[in-house]
Amino acid sequence: MFYRISGQFKTDYRSDHALFRVRQDAVLMGIILLFAWVIFPFTANEFVFQALLIPVLIYSLAALGLNILTGYAGQLSLGTGAFMGVGAYACYKLVTIFPEMNLLVAIGLSGFFAAAVGVAFGLPSLRIKGFYLAIATLAAQFFLVWLFEKWAWLYNYNASGAIQVPTIDMFGIRVAGPTASSFVQYYFVLFVVTIMTIFAINITRGHIGRTWKAVRDMDIAAELVGINLLRSKLIAFAVSSYIVGVSGALFVFLWRGAAEPNLFDIPLSFRVLFIAIIGGLGSILGNYLGAILIVALPVILNILPEMVGLEINAAVVEHLNIMIIGALIIAVLIIEPHGLARFWAIIREKLIMWPFPH
Amino acid sequence: MADTIQSSPWTDDGIDPGAVLLNVDNISLSFGGVKAISDISFDVCKGEIRAIIGPNGAGKTSMLNVINGFYQPQEGTIMFRGKERRSMKPHQAVGQGIARTFQNVALFKGMSTLDNIMAGRSVMMKRNLFWQLLWHGPALNEEIEHREKVEEIIDFLEIKHIRRTPVGNLPYGLQKRVELGRALAMEPSLLLLDEPMAGMNLEEKEDMSRFVLDVNQQFGTTIALIEHDMGVVMDLSDRVVVLDYGKKIADGTPDEVRNNQDVIDAYLGVPH
Repeated sequence: MFYRISGQFKTDYRSDHALFRVRQDAVLMGIILLFAWVIFPFTANEFVFQALLIPVLIYSLAALGLNILTGYAGQLSLGTGAFMGVGAYACYKLVTIFPEMNLLVAIGLSGFFAAAVGVAFGLPSLRIKGFYLAIATLAAQFFLVWLFEKWAWLYNYNASGAIQVPTIDMFGIRVAGPTASSFVQYYFVLFVVTIMTIFAINITRGHIGRTWKAVRDMDIAAELVGINLLRSKLIAFAVSSYIVGVSGALFVFLWRGAAEPNLFDIPLSFRVLFIAIIGGLGSILGNYLGAILIVALPVILNILPEMVGLEINAAVVEHLNIMIIGALIIAVLIIEPHGLARFWAIIREKLIMWPFPH
Repeated sequence: MADTIQSSPWTDDGIDPGAVLLNVDNISLSFGGVKAISDISFDVCKGEIRAIIGPNGAGKTSMLNVINGFYQPQEGTIMFRGKERRSMKPHQAVGQGIARTFQNVALFKGMSTLDNIMAGRSVMMKRNLFWQLLWHGPALNEEIEHREKVEEIIDFLEIKHIRRTPVGNLPYGLQKRVELGRALAMEPSLLLLDEPMAGMNLEEKEDMSRFVLDVNQQFGTTIALIEHDMGVVMDLSDRVVVLDYGKKIADGTPDEVRNNQDVIDAYLGVPH
């Protein structure tokens, strides 16, 4: 009823290539953007900013980067956490060497360091595929975390071995450091994530995105329609690692405030991979849905008993939480192995048909 | 519609109709001790439909793989469009104007029909990462320009109704047709078809035969095809080359080949 698409005709290819081919999709997107840009920030309190909004956005961005590599180009990677670390450490070095540098610029540049490292570790992808490539990226994971620990120059020879985010102002407004307000940080993160998402949408619907999908679906045929496999895979590694690197810089500078090398260890890689898989590989929307399930839902479940006035032991809540999330993940993967994004696609299809069964 | 296609640039590759487009000279290919092809020579002339036939394991598909650069022959040379070459990568062969379809359908299963055929034009799409990020402007214009060409092919192959269907969900006959569409999107001067009718029923075979003839006549595309259905081969092709055990045993018009004793023996067997 609300999703009736009849009567929306496309009369030229330009309108057929529009991002939202159905008007209702555009309206829905507008509502989501309204919530993200206006309603959430003006109603959220400190806890909601720090425990829900900001981390969901940052994890979504990391998953988006991984999804470009794994979901679109078909190259499995287990090194996401380390590539986030490269972005974070690069950003740390940039702001300590050039204290005058705009933080936005520093974060944008730190992505390039991650991209360069990603390309270097992506080189074996021409020869090895699938799980074997995953093992090769695992090497990157262990090597880089080891490097963060041993190369003292990276953390400016701190006695603690950790990086501490300095206080950074941008246009007279404090954006990073212990005294920055969550409100400003949220907008900063939202701005970066929005821009990155637009870029990701553009690139995946264009011809480079098509080459990635071709390589993913059948690499021999891709080669025989004239696609240069090495080039296509390396572009995927570069773009993916760039986004992951930016998310890593945001992760430390706009959320955590400080980071030790083991923060970027394999649990972080797995977490981002789970978000991408549960959200739906080969989809942009899925990353956000996945992040909401994996990052936000446990936090909400944790405070839920207290909010409704139930007195349950904190440890019990914690354990129940793990059980519920685990069961949900398994349920989602059994009911719809293609992830939450496919769920939405099916619901949307049903809505278009509704109230008719066919 | 047909007029715009007829004037398409891919008919014009600097070779006169009837002249030799591809010349295969003394090609030998072996895998270890197995000789797949031994000392085969034949030519394909501009504008003709050339069939390669032979019993199973005769080396037909290997021959196509050699022509489009997937295998490197140990001996012999290949002359294409007047240029001689020994070895090349498949994507370079595409750049020179050789497109092919596969015996087992090799489509991009997660992508729609439209995207599959658009992927055939990857070589021609030049806008780089920067323009792709912006999308609006040059990248979109390029996309639309190629979309128009692709729609001509979709129209020609009568697959308009499945434009947005993921090809993995299509029946086999249509998948074969989409694969032909993808090869046509490359605007090839030589089109290699590896068993285009395999596994089809009579009606689908008739459809496919009509498309092969139309491609040849309307686009002026030279076609080299492998096929087991003798009726189809004899009706479609201008000249036939017959392989058996990696050797050429006959070459000529369908009538000559049909009456050749070696060919009859190869197919029906001889008493030893």
